Amino acid sequence: MIRRGDGATGSMRAPFATLDQALDNIQQTIVQAGEAPRQQLDLVCAHRPNDAPRGGRPRFQYYVDAVPMGTAGDGSEASPWPDMPTAIAELQRLSRDGALRIAPGEVARLTRREPFTTTSLDGKKRKRERVAKSIFMTMTVLLVVPLVAILVYLVVQAWPALSLELLFANPKNNMTAGGIWSALIGTFFLVMTSLLIAAPIGVLAGVYLNEYAPDNWLTRMVQLAVVNLAGVPSIVHALFGVGAFVLASGMGESVIAAACTLAVMTLPVIITSTREALASVPMAFREACWNMGASRWQTIRTIVLPNSISGILTGVILQVSRAAGETAPIMFTGAVFFVPVPDTGWESWLPYGPFDNCMALSMHLYTLRTQIVGAPLSLQFGTAVVLIGLVLAVNSASIALRVYLRSRKKW
Amino acid sequence: MSTASETVDVPADATASDRLSESWLQRFGEFVIETAIRLCGWSSILFVTGIFAFVAFQAFVIYDHGAVRLWTTLDWPQFLFGREWQPTLPTNPIYGTLALFVGSVTVTGLAMVIAVPLGLGAAVFLSEFCSGKTRETLKITIELLAAIPSIVWGFIAVVVLNPLIIWATGAPVGVNVLNGGLILALMSVPVIVSVGEDALKAVPDSYREAAIALGASRWEVVYRVLFPAAKNGLLAAVLLGVGRAIGETMAVLFATGHSVNFPSTVLDPVRTLTATIAAELGEVEKFSDHYRVLFVVGLMLFAIAFVINLTSDLIVKGIRGQQNA
Repeated sequence: MIRRGDGATGSMRAPFATLDQALDNIQQTIVQAGEAPRQQLDLVCAHRPNDAPRGGRPRFQYYVDAVPMGTAGDGSEASPWPDMPTAIAELQRLSRDGALRIAPGEVARLTRREPFTTTSLDGKKRKRERVAKSIFMTMTVLLVVPLVAILVYLVVQAWPALSLELLFANPKNNMTAGGIWSALIGTFFLVMTSLLIAAPIGVLAGVYLNEYAPDNWLTRMVQLAVVNLAGVPSIVHALFGVGAFVLASGMGESVIAAACTLAVMTLPVIITSTREALASVPMAFREACWNMGASRWQTIRTIVLPNSISGILTGVILQVSRAAGETAPIMFTGAVFFVPVPDTGWESWLPYGPFDNCMALSMHLYTLRTQIVGAPLSLQFGTAVVLIGLVLAVNSASIALRVYLRSRKKW
Repeated sequence: MSTASETVDVPADATASDRLSESWLQRFGEFVIETAIRLCGWSSILFVTGIFAFVAFQAFVIYDHGAVRLWTTLDWPQFLFGREWQPTLPTNPIYGTLALFVGSVTVTGLAMVIAVPLGLGAAVFLSEFCSGKTRETLKITIELLAAIPSIVWGFIAVVVLNPLIIWATGAPVGVNVLNGGLILALMSVPVIVSVGEDALKAVPDSYREAAIALGASRWEVVYRVLFPAAKNGLLAAVLLGVGRAIGETMAVLFATGHSVNFPSTVLDPVRTLTATIAAELGEVEKFSDHYRVLFVVGLMLFAIAFVINLTSDLIVKGIRGQQNA
């Protein structure tokens, strides 16, 4: 009791007795008589005449596609038969071989695909793409969530201690009370001194690498040195600072020695961003200037530097943020646990000479955590929040500058 | 018209003499500034060799009343392979760095197990699956993650992660390999994301377009086209992440528990090379054996960082060369 379920006249009422008969009939009507082929051809094995075919997926599914995919079509989705006559002939062969056999209630379906129709393969692909995208998104979110959670937690814990007094008062009672002013101003001194040292060297080195450096082994060495300088662990920078600045140069443990150490450490930040900023100035600008008879340095001074100044500033600001947060390089070269600082007057704003020890914010957090017995937790959290706030504010300034710069870029 | 433009009246002599008169000072000024630029450009080499030289000098050169000699009493086999680190013993202190080295490697290893999939996944997401405002916001957030100072990470390790780990695992202390690994993972992820994203962006768009034209989905583009094409850049990203993690000092000083130990589980505390220097350098007597050993450990770290950076740089330069060819 095989019947054709494609809506051919009378076929529901008068099913074929066998699959072979059905296929023969299809061959006669479609292939020989040239009847227009249909979208879909269902071969249903029914229990009784007039039995509606069961829903669900057909047992066998075959495809015909005018656009050939692959060479040897086997009727599957991935390599369909090229046309209807081939399909019918193949089905007859399969039926004869006993490979195509349908039990009552089962369906064998032959689908003719239009060009560019979505196949179930496409659906699978798209599903896999969605899964991949959501996995990657989860990974990214997993990085962002801890950051936000930690920041919120720190601020909540520090809330009782956050006040202007925290910022502008000096530590009291063996640092178990009071504020963090002397550490804050110490960090400011360290960062500014290191900036004064690192900025000129870094910017000029960036100019050298982008404008002057010939393509030779020496330049290659310089580039390698910049990469390595950026990768040296901070504690090794500290050891270098002890050896070179504290001892060999005779600076002793002082603001200037610590600032020199920070400067060497943060130099690659300035070099790299200066170089990128200079490289983004189009070559045509320079060529135009050279054609006017300007020398190399004149071109750099009047054309290249003015056009890249914001990019260079971005790098300098990043240097500040990096230097402000570091602890290891300064803890043996100048920063100490405690320095008494006047509470009022101009001396509270200029407490450290270049050859004095100083306090620093990052060092202060370390001290509060490890050296001071009974430092209230809120004070520790407060110090951490001020440090993060400082660094993030500086960083945000750099990002804002970059965004502004990009929006204003004329070339 | 054309003849008029050809016969523009230029006082040729005047220009030449102007140039001559100002060239003296100008040329000297330019010579000075260009020399300064060159010197600053080469200074990086000076600094890197300087770091090596000064640390090695502190470690090995004994300067004794004008006489210079080398410090040769370090027991190298014990230093490299000794399992005990007991520098404060009154007699015969033991300087074996194997446990410290293993500590550094395990914490870094765990950090990489967490950070590499997350970092590369985020790099792929940023570069291939999102655009516009979302992308900028996420990039900025991850950049800010990189800006948090290491001492603050250490603080977070003690006050946030420590109780969390004790609560979650029932371990007696929460400062251990797991804590250090998590903190270092968060610290090194920004490097991996930004370098990895650069590597993916460096793959020419024509590769993506060709794959899409052949019917590939975006996941297939990533998996079959971008990963093979950006393989070296992604490897460099991972290496730089390793470099960042292994050199980190203040955060691991707080996070790992700081006890010399061969860890058997992730809940054991360890001590790293970097944290050892940070914790002990302030206490030792200048130019004692212990002091010198700490500088030798510093040299070791310098060498590790140097090899990692050199390798990643060669890998990145390797792709550039291939692309140019």
